[in-house]
Amino acid sequence: MSKEAILNKLSDAVVAGKPAMAKEGAEEALAQKVDPLEAINNGLVKGMSIVGDQYAARQVYLPQVLMSAKTMYTGLDILLPAIPKASMANMKKCATAVVEGDVHDIGKNIVKTMLTASGFVVIDWGKDVPITKIVGDAKSEKLDALALSTLMTPTMDGMKAAVDGLKESGYRKSVKVCIGGAPTSPEFAKEIGADHRDANAQDCATWLKGVL
Amino acid sequence: MADMTHIERVMAGLTGEKGDRLPVYPIACGVNRKLIGNGITYREWAHDPKMYAQGFIEGQKKYNYDLCVGLMDLSVMAGDLGAHVRMDEQNTPFVDVPIINNPEDYEKLQVPDVKKGRSAVLIEGTKLYCDYLKDKVITAGFVEGPLLALTQTAGAERVFMDMFTNPSAVHKALETMTAFDVELTKGFGTTGCAGLCWDYLWGNYSCLGDAEYEEFEGCKKYAMGLNELTLKEGMAVAIHNCADLPHLDTQITKFKASIYSMAYYPLIPGSMSAAEVIAGGYTDKCLVGGNLDPQLFIRASVEKITQMTKDLCQEVKTALCKRGLDSPKYCIASGCEVPPDINTKIENIQAMVETGKKYGVMN
Repeated sequence: MSKEAILNKLSDAVVAGKPAMAKEGAEEALAQKVDPLEAINNGLVKGMSIVGDQYAARQVYLPQVLMSAKTMYTGLDILLPAIPKASMANMKKCATAVVEGDVHDIGKNIVKTMLTASGFVVIDWGKDVPITKIVGDAKSEKLDALALSTLMTPTMDGMKAAVDGLKESGYRKSVKVCIGGAPTSPEFAKEIGADHRDANAQDCATWLKGVL
Repeated sequence: MADMTHIERVMAGLTGEKGDRLPVYPIACGVNRKLIGNGITYREWAHDPKMYAQGFIEGQKKYNYDLCVGLMDLSVMAGDLGAHVRMDEQNTPFVDVPIINNPEDYEKLQVPDVKKGRSAVLIEGTKLYCDYLKDKVITAGFVEGPLLALTQTAGAERVFMDMFTNPSAVHKALETMTAFDVELTKGFGTTGCAGLCWDYLWGNYSCLGDAEYEEFEGCKKYAMGLNELTLKEGMAVAIHNCADLPHLDTQITKFKASIYSMAYYPLIPGSMSAAEVIAGGYTDKCLVGGNLDPQLFIRASVEKITQMTKDLCQEVKTALCKRGLDSPKYCIASGCEVPPDINTKIENIQAMVETGKKYGVMN
């Protein structure tokens, strides 16, 4: 199979939401000595960008987006370990988390997907993440950006606690903090000292690429 | 026009008759436990039908608003199905451990006895507040639609992906959820409530398109059938959907809702303002309620929420006038529940209600 055919296969797998096809395509890429970074960017990420555009245009909806994301991660699981560490040295590092006390994570997972598709190295801390972990690990992981989410009112205060904790730890100036979730607003972001609030995962990724 | 009673005013909005002012209803539910006194926790309020009802009764006494809709929270059905609910003492509880771990688990769901658990609290409590308030305001019970109940039970992401990969398993579970809703609807039918408010959250273009929503909730065997049963049980169909891009044509027009409660997200393209909803003809078909940001009740000053309410009244009255409607077809309400958070400001609820009454007067 030619390199072009392999890249198309990876992209098509993501668009169609077929994890098994992505696994096969990723394995073929490695077997054919295709640069894994190229397979990611011109295969998996290209497919995810198409899906992102389709979602924005309401041509596909959440079930398809989630399956495409799962497909992309299936391919990434195979391709990422094959990238030489030196090639990743310049990639920006970001973490995603739903703050402590909340378990609603669909929005966070879409943000994670779009950040990955935008070329960030993304660490996903999951949901119900303790503020102490967010503050401590942001510094130890030397994050460039942090994307926090909540869908609930009471846990919004956890976002403020995280930003305050980053200030106290002395790491706040080194990391961009984005927040999202239905109850949040740009005013709330400003109030707690976050850098940005977005209602759209793709726009959030674009904003971060612009400021980092 | 002479002052109307609460019931006359809402009925005017429902039937298209002239009204004295716009109805006002902050969706104040769990937060009203604070009015009962004795430091009652959310857990106590949500597990005792008498306390549950007393919250709504005290809310009506204090604020004197135009409706009473008995929302508890969105983990009632999932909890009674066996999912673990994290019950905060002073805030909204939620499911933290879903019970669907593989496609086979969908088939294991069984309809619980609605005379037990929080389903029973909901039905018994609704009966109690309806007995007390039915001569004063239009009352309604509140119930989760089948797809919402399933996503709460199984985890939304799993359900959405399984719609794609295992649709038959999802349908099997939705049949169980619908059967659960049938039992709840029959239970609410015995309470004397005038309406039943369905939470059909996933009719939202951010999540599902028309085809997916029709297949997984909007069709006859799920929501349409439940709406028909609601009417058959003697209750009007009300719908609450606080999503950003609700399926208004399906949920208002096709579902023939009498009351439709919705939110507004000004930063999201396509989210409809009150004026746009009215101009779009949706208030020709039902009484729409909305759309103050619930966060105002926690984070805003009294002055800010007063101004926001005043602005909404003006926006609504202008839009109704442009549409040629002299009926109070839009209820000044919060777009979603007033947060039951311990820090929610009682004075902000008071200010919103008083401002709505003052500036909602229709000339």
